[in-house]
Amino acid sequence: MNVLKVTNLTKKFSSFTAVNNVSFDLKEGEILGLLGPNGAGKTTTIQMIIGVLTPTKGEVNYFGKNLKNNREEILEKINFSSTYTQLPWLLTVEENLKFISYLYEIKNRNERIKKLAKIFKLEKLLKEQTKDLSSGEITRVNLAKAFINYPKVLLLDEPTASLDPETAEYIRKFLLEERDQFNVSIVWTSHNMAEVEEVCDRVILINNGKIIADNTPDKLAKTIEICHVELNIPDGLKRTIEICQSKKVVYKLEGRYIIIDLKEKEIPVFLRELMDKGVFYDQISIDKPTLNDYFLQAI
Amino acid sequence: MKLNRIYALVLRFFFLFRHSYDRIGDAFYWPTIDLIIWGLTSSYFMTFAPNAPQIMLVILSGLMFWQIVWRAQYEITVNLLEDLWNKNLINIFVSPIKFSEWVVSFIIIGITKAALSFPFTMVVAYLLYKINIVFFGWYFIPIIFLLFMTGWWIGFFVAGLILRFGTQVQTLAWTFAWAIGPFCAMYYPVSILPLWAQKIAVFTPASYVFENAREIINNGYPDPNKFYISFMLNLIYLILSISFFYFSLKKVMKKGLIKVY
Repeated sequence: MNVLKVTNLTKKFSSFTAVNNVSFDLKEGEILGLLGPNGAGKTTTIQMIIGVLTPTKGEVNYFGKNLKNNREEILEKINFSSTYTQLPWLLTVEENLKFISYLYEIKNRNERIKKLAKIFKLEKLLKEQTKDLSSGEITRVNLAKAFINYPKVLLLDEPTASLDPETAEYIRKFLLEERDQFNVSIVWTSHNMAEVEEVCDRVILINNGKIIADNTPDKLAKTIEICHVELNIPDGLKRTIEICQSKKVVYKLEGRYIIIDLKEKEIPVFLRELMDKGVFYDQISIDKPTLNDYFLQAI
Repeated sequence: MKLNRIYALVLRFFFLFRHSYDRIGDAFYWPTIDLIIWGLTSSYFMTFAPNAPQIMLVILSGLMFWQIVWRAQYEITVNLLEDLWNKNLINIFVSPIKFSEWVVSFIIIGITKAALSFPFTMVVAYLLYKINIVFFGWYFIPIIFLLFMTGWWIGFFVAGLILRFGTQVQTLAWTFAWAIGPFCAMYYPVSILPLWAQKIAVFTPASYVFENAREIINNGYPDPNKFYISFMLNLIYLILSISFFYFSLKKVMKKGLIKVY
């Protein structure tokens, strides 16, 4: 079942088209990654989806209902967190969560705040003013704020930016658990490709305001055939370079290391040829194509 | 309209008030300073006009009543600015809050803060100068209500401008009401204004209220027509200013709330 359906979404600022006819959907319990370089139209798309930017054309529907006509009902069930927004600086963490909680119709507000404080490790910070928090702590407060109304759909704009690796991993696990337990659907923007590969079920790549890819991270990565084969060659580096040149394969030298771009199926043949020519290597690593490779090639 | 959402924004105001020395200061410090300066000035004037004992009452009641206009407009504009400074507007508008609830919360915040600072100034005026504006009796109600209305329409008009043009016009939050002040004739009759200014005062609802306040001081009763004209003008301006505020929000939604600063 689709919880979010975006149809022909377009945003023009004067003559500049920031988002051009974007259509996609989000299924119940799905985590959808929204990727793209800076200025690609991700944030503009997110803003239209959460209803704080009026589209020039197109529709946003949640749970089969139009956002424009059912704003109050829909916004009660969704939430948003971004590293680019802030909460009132002079208020304490607890006061911020409390006033935000009253914007939604939820029961046992104090219990909810306590629970979220525990989940996002904010218990010791509840009485601290927001202005005194580090950027990582503010990100955690923003995430707690986003979960306050038991959202069915969450829009997270770089949710783990400014977090240390350990906390980022903890947050990713928590989000995956929320999805598994409560079928929460998430739209996730990030510049961290490894994170998107780990967390997202599906990825949409936006560039110049248009969707240029929509698939699972695995399938997108597999469209790239080239692997990076890294060899440490104490003896025979010159011969290896000659083989690369004769086969017209791309290579890069880093000291005694050579990094060769090869299709996956060509690797065994290439290594056999090195052995036949008496080239000796004492270290080898093969990097399979990743979402990052796809991203770099597509953009 | 949902009360919990209005309560959310009022609660945010109380939390902010508790932490901000600026906000506590502007509720109590400035009205006290104004009262001291203008009270002493009127005492000095009274030495030139011993036959006009009401002079201090006219000036200080004008000053205290102006606090109502000021407070009502200030709480609308400054609370909006707080959300812009804190980049918090987006957090409010991704919630199910409605425009009407937002507007009502501003009005309640203004009334609440006036309810804190106005009685305080009344007590200070009584303690320092034995001025008791309870003297206005029941006429107090229309005077206060009409001045609140004036503050609201000024506030929503300025808030609309701030939404459209961002914090680069934030100074209007402190200055716009004072630009209208001379035509409101707080301390003097409209008749002493130059003719062109009198024509503007005719369209300034607060001028009728201050005129009536002086009539009550001088004659003991007001002119009901002046209250009526003031009410109608305030109502028209309030409808226009809230509409302007609403269309400014719509306009800014086309640009994106995240870009308003």
